[in-house]
Amino acid sequence: MPDWRSEVRPRLSSLPLSPARENEIVDELSQHLDDHWRELVAAGTPPDEATRLTLAQFRSGNMLARYLAPLRQAQSRPPATPAAPTGHALADLRQDLRYAARVFSKQPGFAAAAVLTLALGIGATTAIFSVVYGVLLKPLPFQDPERLVSLMHRATAPGISLGLVNHGPDTYLTYRDHQAMFEGIGAWETDDVTITGRSEPEYVEALNVTSATLPLLRVQPALGRFFGSEDDAPGGPLRVVLGYGYWQRRFGGAAGVIGQSLQIDGRLAEVIGVLPSSFRFLRTNPAVLLPMPLQLVNGIMFDFQALGRLKPGVSVADANADVARMIPLLHPSFQRLQLEPNVRPLAADVIGEVGELLWILFASVGVVLLIACANVANLFLVRAEGRQQELAMRAALGASRGRIARVLLSESMVLALAGGAGGVALAYAAIGLLRVMAPAQLPRVEEIGLDPIVLLFTLAITLVAGAVFGVVPVLRFAQLNPAALKDGGRSTGDAPGRHRTRNALVVAEIALALVLMVVSGLMIRTFVGMRQVEPGFTHPEQVQTFRLAIPDGVIADPLQMARAHESIVRRLERVPGVVSVGLASSITMDGEDNTNPISVEEFPVPQGTLPPLRRFKSFAPGFFETMGNRLVAGRSITWNEIYERRPVMVVSETLAREYWQEPPRALGKRVRAGARQPWREIVGVTGDERDDGLNKPATAIVYWPLLNEGYQRRTFAYAVRSSRVGTPGFLGELQQAVWSVNANLPLAGVRTLDEIRADSMAQTSFAMVMLGIAAGVALLLGVVGIYAVIAYIASQRTREIGLRIALGAQLRDVRAMFLRHGLWLTSAGLAIGIGIALVLTRVMSAMLFGVGPMDPLTFAGVAAVLGAVALVATYLPARRAARVDPIAALRADA
Amino acid sequence: MNTRALDRELKRGSAELLILSLLDARPRHGYELSKLIHARSGGQLTFHIDSLYPLLYRLEERGWIKGAWVEKAGERRRRFYKVTAAGRQVLAQQRKTWAAFVEAVRRVTGSDHA
Repeated sequence: MPDWRSEVRPRLSSLPLSPARENEIVDELSQHLDDHWRELVAAGTPPDEATRLTLAQFRSGNMLARYLAPLRQAQSRPPATPAAPTGHALADLRQDLRYAARVFSKQPGFAAAAVLTLALGIGATTAIFSVVYGVLLKPLPFQDPERLVSLMHRATAPGISLGLVNHGPDTYLTYRDHQAMFEGIGAWETDDVTITGRSEPEYVEALNVTSATLPLLRVQPALGRFFGSEDDAPGGPLRVVLGYGYWQRRFGGAAGVIGQSLQIDGRLAEVIGVLPSSFRFLRTNPAVLLPMPLQLVNGIMFDFQALGRLKPGVSVADANADVARMIPLLHPSFQRLQLEPNVRPLAADVIGEVGELLWILFASVGVVLLIACANVANLFLVRAEGRQQELAMRAALGASRGRIARVLLSESMVLALAGGAGGVALAYAAIGLLRVMAPAQLPRVEEIGLDPIVLLFTLAITLVAGAVFGVVPVLRFAQLNPAALKDGGRSTGDAPGRHRTRNALVVAEIALALVLMVVSGLMIRTFVGMRQVEPGFTHPEQVQTFRLAIPDGVIADPLQMARAHESIVRRLERVPGVVSVGLASSITMDGEDNTNPISVEEFPVPQGTLPPLRRFKSFAPGFFETMGNRLVAGRSITWNEIYERRPVMVVSETLAREYWQEPPRALGKRVRAGARQPWREIVGVTGDERDDGLNKPATAIVYWPLLNEGYQRRTFAYAVRSSRVGTPGFLGELQQAVWSVNANLPLAGVRTLDEIRADSMAQTSFAMVMLGIAAGVALLLGVVGIYAVIAYIASQRTREIGLRIALGAQLRDVRAMFLRHGLWLTSAGLAIGIGIALVLTRVMSAMLFGVGPMDPLTFAGVAAVLGAVALVATYLPARRAARVDPIAALRADA
Repeated sequence: MNTRALDRELKRGSAELLILSLLDARPRHGYELSKLIHARSGGQLTFHIDSLYPLLYRLEERGWIKGAWVEKAGERRRRFYKVTAAGRQVLAQQRKTWAAFVEAVRRVTGSDHA
């Protein structure tokens, strides 16, 4: 009997059938032929004739293959390799991923390097995104927060821009009564109050609100009620709403608190309600809420905030138009100003200047992620090259281009997902660190975390990253030349264009690293520049500061209040270790900003124009000495001059130079706070204070004596200079000294001058540290990238190097060959990076101090450092390459 | 009927009707099918092995029939085909169409031969 199988099988060979299916068909058809043959033989046909007749069933032209070809089972042959598809997309994906995981478990070094690199990039990006989201993007915790707006103005007086200004009674009451686009408008301001009568006196943060404000925020009381319209009228009984934390802390959360009384700034206030624990209002953290009675006072005043809730469907532009319509309704005195409405989302109030910094940080870590992707793509290229033979084999066995792309992509996805998981872990740790490091200027810190949105973002960047570095080898290797099979995948030389992709990736890495290093370099220069500024004080670590309020309710008479302050100063001076004590309405850089109009006798302001606005402070003897500020000309004042209300004053050097060029010429000149105040004579000029921050110009300040008509204060900041600052017990002794004068005076805002200075630099140092970390990681990854490429090329060219050396090339020629390559990549990267940095650094101008965004020194320094490090990274593998033993190299390759 | 004509029929689908009808009675293997068609058509219709099996595989891919290997003691395994539920629906439809077609042909041609 003939071997039917050998007759059938060749007829199927042209079809891409799966081996199993082919065997089935061969079986079935052989059986058929066998049956036919046996029948013929049984009927008496000679076997040879029977065989001929049986095979005649196959017509010429291999009809079998032609009829089978259109069938699905003959459409494609899967690769006869692992990870053969099952025909179901999901099952295939799972299989691909499982296969990839198995592949990596056999290459732990490669996998670990790639996963770690990715985890670094993804983790950093996730951490900063969590900050961006928590601080900038997350809606405010109120109902329909997109309808809440802050009402501001942009004001210009002839010749000067006053920037953003808020509200006084005139603007607020006019808008409240005439607006058409708002559900309502409410006013608010923060304040500090003294609460007495319950054990120790307390100095706490208060939030003053009109009765409309809380309902507009859709806040419901946890207990009791909020203010009613009767509380908006001046002269009524004082009522108070407690913050949840304060209620818990001071009243143990007792429900019976409603109806009880508190002594606030010496006035009795009835507790009418408690805020819910979820209450978070912008940057405030009030212990108590107080009503805010407003009386119409005609005239220009800007000293509290207003918020509104837009009617449904009303846009911010509509609201601005509404305010623009009402501006002409204001008191005629406003005509001296040009007011433009500036209604903006309430969220803008909480973000402040920090938004720009966060976006820059976010962009920076995005760049780190890009560099990480480039590095991993490079690793993949190297690996894919080593696998050319395997990939060619797959193709030869019938894997399509798409199939090979899927194998490569699923491998990159497995790595990306592992990197993403590592990134989330890193981000979790980093967020903890960020919360601790966050500068005081960073609001909503408690809202930073790994929310679902943040995790979704991480998943998205993980998948994108996986696609980005996975697609590079796919583009490079999905088309395969059969030559890869023939020469065993080994290459002997530097085929033209062969390393082009890899070179491009390294150039990009160096360029991006340079951009980040320049940005971080500029930040370091800014930090150093700020450290060198004379802030208006010396040895801040030896100065303890705190605020002390003597409310009307405690000592009503101003003269008695002044005498109480002197007694406190004298008492504090007797505390052991105290060198000197001084007080003023505010300490340098503590954030107090009281800017008011002044008149200078010699320089009268023409009718109808606004007088110049300058920073006001009031002070008492000992202040400048304690701060360590120098006296530029003249003298300070005495307690007697305060008590006798002598018409004397002091100005800062900047103000003196502004009017009289030379500080001594300011002495004897007269200045007053507004037209109805008496003239005061300048008796002293002090050194400048950087009151608005070290990165801002020195503030022009007028210093009034503690008792004066134009600028009366009840709260003063004390400065105590002592080498004992920061030692245990010292603060307690200061407190006892104060209480020995008056037991109803709480100390508040207890900080050392050094802490105040650090706070004012916090945003810059935060930016510097974060950008420094980003730049450091970028540098590391970039250097690893160039090292890996040179090392890889060197290892690929071992045989060529062996040949060259055998033919008489010098070691240094070989070294130079690689160094040239590295130098070329580095220079290209540096040039491109400088180009990009020149464009991008302009964005951060506002964050810089004492250095321009195109600072040549920073650019040159960064380029030199990066270039040098990159050359070292090139030199190491080049040196190793040149040490090749020619005989070994040639033999190993034979 | 010559083989070219049968090939055309294969393409048109009346061969499918033949196979489905034969399998409707009971499961059969490929050789049995080819013999039955040959015998019942009085030798007029012959399926070559190279057109019969591709046709069976096509019907199987469409889900109208289903093949299964059956092993009997002392014999090589054979693949038996049976009609599926979907195949039965198709068969019923095709029978109706075929009857209508035959009736139409009879009406057109009937008068000439009456």
